[in-house]
Amino acid sequence: MATVHIPTLFAQAALEVSGKKLDNLSGATVISKLGLDSVAVMELVAHFEEKLNIRMPDEDLAKVQTVADLGGLVKRLMPAGSEVTW
Amino acid sequence: MAQWNAPNLIAAIDESKGMTEKGYTFLDRDQKELFLSWDALRSEAMKRAAHLRKYGLKKGDRVAMVLPDGEDFVPTFLGAVWAGLVPVPLYPPLSLGKLDSYKDTMVAVLNKAEPTYLITLSKMQQVLWAGLTHVKSLKGVITAEELKGPAPEGVSQDPAQVSEDDLAFLQFTSGSTSTPKGVAVTHGNLRANAWAIMVDGLKSDSATDHGVSWLPLYHDMGLIGFVIAPMFHKVQVTFIPTMAFVRSATLWFETIHRVRGTITFAPNFAYALATKRSKPEQLAKWDLSCVKAFGCGAEPINPGTMRTFVETLSKAKLNPNALLPCYGMAEATLAISFIGMDETLSTDVIDSDAYQKQRTAEPVHISKLTEGKAQEVVNCGKTFPGHEVGIFDDEGKRLPERRIGEIQVRGPSVAKGYFRDPDATERTFGGGWLKTGDLGYLANGNVYIVGRKKDIIIINGRNYDPQRLEWLVDDMAGVRKGSSVAFSKPGAASEELIIVLEARTNSETELEALKESVKQRIVEQMQLTPTDVVVCPVGSLPKTSSGKLQRSKTRQQYLDGTVGKEGNRTIGSNAEKVVLARHVALSLLGRSRHRARRVVEHALEVRSVDDALGKLKLAGDYFSNRLTRLF
Repeated sequence: MATVHIPTLFAQAALEVSGKKLDNLSGATVISKLGLDSVAVMELVAHFEEKLNIRMPDEDLAKVQTVADLGGLVKRLMPAGSEVTW
Repeated sequence: MAQWNAPNLIAAIDESKGMTEKGYTFLDRDQKELFLSWDALRSEAMKRAAHLRKYGLKKGDRVAMVLPDGEDFVPTFLGAVWAGLVPVPLYPPLSLGKLDSYKDTMVAVLNKAEPTYLITLSKMQQVLWAGLTHVKSLKGVITAEELKGPAPEGVSQDPAQVSEDDLAFLQFTSGSTSTPKGVAVTHGNLRANAWAIMVDGLKSDSATDHGVSWLPLYHDMGLIGFVIAPMFHKVQVTFIPTMAFVRSATLWFETIHRVRGTITFAPNFAYALATKRSKPEQLAKWDLSCVKAFGCGAEPINPGTMRTFVETLSKAKLNPNALLPCYGMAEATLAISFIGMDETLSTDVIDSDAYQKQRTAEPVHISKLTEGKAQEVVNCGKTFPGHEVGIFDDEGKRLPERRIGEIQVRGPSVAKGYFRDPDATERTFGGGWLKTGDLGYLANGNVYIVGRKKDIIIINGRNYDPQRLEWLVDDMAGVRKGSSVAFSKPGAASEELIIVLEARTNSETELEALKESVKQRIVEQMQLTPTDVVVCPVGSLPKTSSGKLQRSKTRQQYLDGTVGKEGNRTIGSNAEKVVLARHVALSLLGRSRHRARRVVEHALEVRSVDDALGKLKLAGDYFSNRLTRLF
């Protein structure tokens, strides 16, 4: 079964999308404070969806504030038994 | 060429009867298509109008709409118009973690528009509820799902009777949160601007043209340019969900290639983004020779971006003449000027000295650009027949060609004013001319825009447009793209220039070097020395809801000594959790309070009580889940 560490994947995605190096991400990191513009954020979401083969509904994304929230959403959408940590 | 000339949007919808071959195609995130023919759009509008009338809504009542997807938005919008209602499109909450500012803006807009109902998706309700309790005019929420159901019996599906002066819809512009302004667009405005865009501007042909748009439908360019104007002139359109474009920008070109699109529009930033994301193998595959209009407007047009686009996309057989710089604003319904269909991007190189000192646009040789003694301005074309563009100085005197002043517009596309805001209406629409707030000039009747009037920086009697200074800084290595802000502060002798930017580095030495090179660049290019360059942490400068940097707020923070210090990372702080918890709690409270009010108001409406109980239970589950995870 798949194992996903959200902060690691997030940092990879941010690097790929906007060339931004993000250190010290944790579950409590507030995404809106990372200085990614709104387009970059959505590209990042696309990156997650592609990598994990999931679809994150817009109305759920609107409620995501922290890396942990994103983790919770990913966890809910991944097949049962996948390990999602943050 | 078939000529369509319906007197208003309702009549244009009615003309669709029996036309089953073409219409609007809505793509979803998985590229699945939903095709609604002109005839089907008419039937959907009639059905939805009946549903809305069942709620007691009547001509002139406002209905707010928060519907992110075209397949819900378009038929609902047309249905509301068919019933004579005044739709108020609002943008949906999309970005991660911006719920606080979203809610504030939404409440301010709704309190201005005073809608009777809000239409949204059932799954969106939960996100919106927190704010709705603060909107007194609202009687409740109608879900888009409900409007899809079979038409209610015994309710009229007849079209409303409207006149030219009747309100068609309210277009809220992304201004400040505290004082939102809703542009009152009439049926006469829509007809005039649809004609200007589709006939005078694009020379559209319903037999051959095909629009492609990913633009948000709550924005004037997406709604008027791709829903309303094409409905008047029966040009088929394929809609890409905005979020799908943002997730993968090349979907725009891919779709044009696939459906053989001929007309598309987007702001400057989208051209930059989609060009950057286009891979060589995609460029080799695409054939974009079908496009006759790649319209660019809605924000300042950067000639560099446009040239890169034309050069890169030439590999996909793009016709350089297809690029269509244009100028417009919501207060003029949408379009003010286009360049001709047979023209391509052209620019004017004007002397900086003459611009800054005498406010004149004197053409000079292009070589002056590299010397930093000139600037390049994009030709946005001529205004449409029946419309007039004038340039005025601060005293209200009309200026001749090549003199720089405020651009003003008059004609049948100019809106009635701002909804229920006589002061703002007088300021902007008074005296028979729409004051655009843009600075520019006319040359051979073509419109050239140099900047925004209120942002203009005046130093030693010279005028500088902050956008141009910011573009210079944005290009530099180490500067976060789109993060620089230029403004002035009062100095000893004259105003002084301040540059604030976000940088990718934290190293002290690199920061100092960056400040120096920013100063140097501005000196070289503009012969102007910034008094201060402030480098802030990434993400700390204030932005508007649409992600644009706020110059005035940044300036205020600079003067207060708080710039870059507010909104820094507070990772793991309890405050963030409290904000989140507050949202959830408010959402719940708002929901129950609102429902309770409705229950009292409509004590006999059993259906809504059941509904309320069901929804409360759902919210309760959500709340307890959230709490367990949080604390």
